[in-house]
Amino acid sequence: MERLLDVRELAPPEPLERVLDALADLPVEHSLRVLLSREPFPLYGFLDRMGYRWRTERKEERYEVLIRPGGGPPRSPEV
Amino acid sequence: MLNPAGLSLDQAPPIAVPFRFFLTAPLFACAAGLILVWEGDGASVSRWTPPALAVVHLVSLGFLTQVMCGALFQMLPVLAGAPVPAAVAAGRWTHGLLLAGTVGLCVGFVGGGWLWLTGGAALVTGSLAIFLGAIGRALAQAASGSQTVKAMRLSLAALAVTLGLGLTLVAYLSGWVHLDRFPEWVDIHLAWGLLGWAGILIMAVGYQVVPMFHVTPPYPRWMLVWSAPLAFLGLTVALALTGIGLGPYAAVGIGLSILSFVAFGLMTLGTQLRRQRRRVDATLLHWWIAIMAALAAAVLWLVSGPSLVVGVLALFGVGVGLPSGMLFKIVPFLCWFHLQSRQVATQRFDYRIPTMHGFLAERAARFHVGVHVAALGLLISGASIAPGMVRLAGLTLAISSALLAGLLAHAAMVYRRHAAVLSAGASTPASKIGGGTSW
Repeated sequence: MERLLDVRELAPPEPLERVLDALADLPVEHSLRVLLSREPFPLYGFLDRMGYRWRTERKEERYEVLIRPGGGPPRSPEV
Repeated sequence: MLNPAGLSLDQAPPIAVPFRFFLTAPLFACAAGLILVWEGDGASVSRWTPPALAVVHLVSLGFLTQVMCGALFQMLPVLAGAPVPAAVAAGRWTHGLLLAGTVGLCVGFVGGGWLWLTGGAALVTGSLAIFLGAIGRALAQAASGSQTVKAMRLSLAALAVTLGLGLTLVAYLSGWVHLDRFPEWVDIHLAWGLLGWAGILIMAVGYQVVPMFHVTPPYPRWMLVWSAPLAFLGLTVALALTGIGLGPYAAVGIGLSILSFVAFGLMTLGTQLRRQRRRVDATLLHWWIAIMAALAAAVLWLVSGPSLVVGVLALFGVGVGLPSGMLFKIVPFLCWFHLQSRQVATQRFDYRIPTMHGFLAERAARFHVGVHVAALGLLISGASIAPGMVRLAGLTLAISSALLAGLLAHAAMVYRRHAAVLSAGASTPASKIGGGTSW
């Protein structure tokens, strides 16, 4: 299952707040797809330490970050 | 471009480094207001009165420079990917000496004598030398491609020039050197401080934070490339003309510099009106008020309007208003960022930390905007048509600054409460701490 979170019209750090809140409520085995207007560099540091894996794609004017539980020790990003 | 490597959890300095500056800065603006209450219209007879000189330096050094120093210690690692060497010690010394030096200088202005004046100037010099050394070294090591970094370097150079000119003026007032055309040198000191140090730094930071915090299109490339260098070039021309005895023609250089700021102000306004996020928050209101004040000051300067009003618009409208608006974003952001980092480090994901508005309520920030506008209006009236308003203007400025100090102190206390819980490792439900979302 995948959840979608659109934070394109929010100003920092609200996108980060929303993503971290959404991850806290994310059921096990689910993934989170986030739509952003800027590449969320600070998020990567948090995800890395929290043990999530992620993949970022740029699609025209937006960024999409797909976040999945790492299931183990922190790992490097897929992209 | 923002340097992604700089936005790591590890590079940010301890929160105490910038907070030390942010929490004490409003007290100096408050003191400036109280001097106006004490002196009344005697302070607004001309910009040469001792209380007027003290008020100007309490605001420009005590408030504006203090906020900008704290912001640079914090933002350089983030915006330029350049950690400041020995940030904790450099921050502590810069802050302590600036605090003591500003007090000494202002006591010297209001009649304390040359010992206070020179002692204060020496302490301010020590403070800014440490600051210039630490921040200058970080900027020298930063990747040079960013227009923000280039503008920050120019701003820092302008601070060094302002300091040099200020020391020359103190030496003249103490009778150590002879200076022809003293008022011209005061004008050029003022121009380098307000337009060079403060103005160019506002440009440098604005390039990044306006698109980021208000979700606007980026500034056009020509603006990023040319606005700060042109402002600096204009000031250099003005300084050179003053230096060779052609002070009356320095207005050509100052005019070029002001033109650059007018273009930056109009572009910022246009960019903000095209923002994706329609909400108008306190920071945006402060930006608009500051831009209007800057444009009004530029027009008045061009038509040789009253210099006191030009000074009030620049110093209080821009120099107090804009940093206050930025602090409403920076302080809650830092509180949130450092707590979030601590939460990740302690793996306390059961604990919910407050959102930005949990540290500094938007309604209170908007109330501050209203008091600031009232203070600005009264100060303008006191400097022009109604000198009897000066006491009331000073009181309103003191209230506005005390309110700012209270709001920032409240944010710091909320931060400390949550940081203590996270450090203790005790699990506390969010509802008992006062967190949650407010939008």
